[in-house]
Amino acid sequence: MRLSKLSIAAAIVLAITIFLFSSGIGYAADSADQSMGLSPVAFFFVFVAICTLIGIVAVLGGVGGGVVFTPLMMGFTPIDSFIIRATGLVVAMAGSLIAARPFLRRGLANIKLLFFAAVPYTIFAVVGALLAGYVKASAGEFGEALIRLILGVLVIFIALLILFGGKKVEYPEVKKVDGFTQRLGLAMSYWEQSMGKVVNYKVTRSPVGIFLFCACGVVSGMFGVGAGWAMVPVFNLVMLAPLKVAAASSKVLIGMGDTAAVWPYIMRGGIFPLFAVACIIGVVIGTSIGARLMFKVKAQFIRWMIILVMIGAGVKLAIDGIEML
Amino acid sequence: MEKEKPPEVPVTGVIYGEIAYRIALLGILISIVGIIIYMISNGYLDRTCTLNQLWSGASVDTIWSECAGVSAALEGHWYFSMLSHGDAIAMLGISVTCSAAVLGMWGGLIGMVRSKGGMYIIFALIVAIILTLCAVGLVVIKE
Repeated sequence: MRLSKLSIAAAIVLAITIFLFSSGIGYAADSADQSMGLSPVAFFFVFVAICTLIGIVAVLGGVGGGVVFTPLMMGFTPIDSFIIRATGLVVAMAGSLIAARPFLRRGLANIKLLFFAAVPYTIFAVVGALLAGYVKASAGEFGEALIRLILGVLVIFIALLILFGGKKVEYPEVKKVDGFTQRLGLAMSYWEQSMGKVVNYKVTRSPVGIFLFCACGVVSGMFGVGAGWAMVPVFNLVMLAPLKVAAASSKVLIGMGDTAAVWPYIMRGGIFPLFAVACIIGVVIGTSIGARLMFKVKAQFIRWMIILVMIGAGVKLAIDGIEML
Repeated sequence: MEKEKPPEVPVTGVIYGEIAYRIALLGILISIVGIIIYMISNGYLDRTCTLNQLWSGASVDTIWSECAGVSAALEGHWYFSMLSHGDAIAMLGISVTCSAAVLGMWGGLIGMVRSKGGMYIIFALIVAIILTLCAVGLVVIKE
């Protein structure tokens, strides 16, 4: 009998859970001071469960785990925002690195487009991370308030983008390719399984794309959210890449750019394994489950749910920010 | 009519994807092992203290000073010298995961050179250098 990777992962998590609970309960009973009434072991598994749920819901809602994780954690937990943003980047990056392989093996993610977009995205993701540290250090409480307020507004904007983002075009028609893009030679082809044929496509407006990838990088690095929600429209609506290519390429690009942004946070000691490992495991398991459930559940309900959750988190963050100002 | 054949997939992408996937997975496994050890035998940062400080909204420096007894957060690759502790092993795992794209990009660069990728070699080189500089700690958040 051949076990699926998911069953193996579930079995490993179950085994670890049993093992840790059996060894950790004694410790928990000894602890006089426990947050939320939880021992570290229980905290770890509560966050694995929460992040698994975030991963499932995010995939079904058509967004990355990081963009749901960071606003939710910042809005509804007391954990320091610097730590949450650092962890959010690791979460977004880990999910993207795991998901990249099939997209690249099938040629769905355009490697030339990726290397081209990775230059501005990576540079500005680092700038965003450094900016986050600078704001925290120099502006103190005011900086924290500003970050919460801007992130709140941004999250509400993303939710509205999901709500009204129905304009995405599966196969945009490229009427004219500008000279710069022509020289880059970004045109490629991929095998479209559903139609059983090769799709040849061109892209255009790469100079505008450079500028927009810079903006995506700053937002991602500064706020600790993956920027797939912004990069898919840039690839699809601005550069006119087919929707599947846009989605696959943005997923892979997050892994490249957020890697650059996460290192300054690690170097600053902003990652705590007790929190980060639980979140990584949860989101990776959740996105795997979500990807399988995608074809079985009605995504419309989930889509509405994620929009409401994100608007709720956005409003909460904005109110927190205004109150702190 | 002759049936269409799938186009050849660029080897550069496959190299990047394979390296990034395998190393990321390895990193996650190391961090799971580390966290198990951390839960059983504690770590460099006391786990209950870390949890309490995290949940009270303490800053990075406060958590480090309260739970590890140091004056401020240990910066850089602190975990390399603490690998007898579970949290340091878990942190090593996270770092390995974060190195996946760095190594993948260098692999992709080699693939691009071998397939004579023209200006994309330069793009890949720029990204690989930036990622490496970040990973070795030359790009740091100063306060």
